[in-house]
Amino acid sequence: MANLNETIHQPVRLRIMAALVTLEPTNEVDFTYLRDLLEVTDGNLGAHLRKLEEAGYISVNKVFMERKPHTYVSATAAGRKVFQEHVAALESILKRK
Amino acid sequence: MNISPTEAEEALAAIQAMTQKTRHSIASSGAYIFLIITGIIWLVGFLSTQFLTGQIVGYIWSGTSILGTAVAILLGTRMGKRVRNPSVNASAKRAIIFWVLLVFYAIAAVAIARPSDGKQVTMFIILFTMVGQSAMGLLLSFSATWWALPITALALVGYFLLPGFFYLWMGVLGGGGMIALGLYIRYRW
Repeated sequence: MANLNETIHQPVRLRIMAALVTLEPTNEVDFTYLRDLLEVTDGNLGAHLRKLEEAGYISVNKVFMERKPHTYVSATAAGRKVFQEHVAALESILKRK
Repeated sequence: MNISPTEAEEALAAIQAMTQKTRHSIASSGAYIFLIITGIIWLVGFLSTQFLTGQIVGYIWSGTSILGTAVAILLGTRMGKRVRNPSVNASAKRAIIFWVLLVFYAIAAVAIARPSDGKQVTMFIILFTMVGQSAMGLLLSFSATWWALPITALALVGYFLLPGFFYLWMGVLGGGGMIALGLYIRYRW
């Protein structure tokens, strides 16, 4: 049986991963777009993204577009796998109810 | 780590809500508009071809196509800043070259085959465009691949089974179908 993942289970990080996993595997999302989607502050999102990046679940890509810096975020293959395992663990808890 | 069934239920509900919100946000930020724009161009263009004659038909096709392309480029630029595919950006030049070559091959095929009427020319254009759409979908975004197939099937059915109403068929079912699909993505997806 799959185990719950403590890093991912935190509510904001859970929603971040849910949003990123919804994208196609080759796509990445703009930081400000993700912030608006989650309705969190810059600082809050930045802190949670660092935790997920340190765990290797997301990838953060900083680029310049039209001379302006942009930060793009995507779920890594490991992040997608761990997220699916976490969802499976949640579902198994419900089945045992 | 242990949690109660109630907490698990809440977590799954949060995941479900976020997944739907993300899908809806991406769809409503522009993807559906491309289908609606193309659908409107086809609807107006094919209906004018069916019911009008003379140079006005060419002007209508040119006008709607130029306007639609301009709107699509504007929306594509806006959309590309929110959600992007780095490998797509790197392949953009190759994609442009591919389309230029495809247009060249389409012109060559039409010149060799010498289609006898407008319907045959239209079918050549639709088939080459859908080959290009399928290739782009397979290379860049798999989810964009599938809709070329039903459009091609509709065109073939109209061409072989309803030659007298071909343009009306393409306008209403091809164009109208794209508009309906775009609206479905916008409101139901």
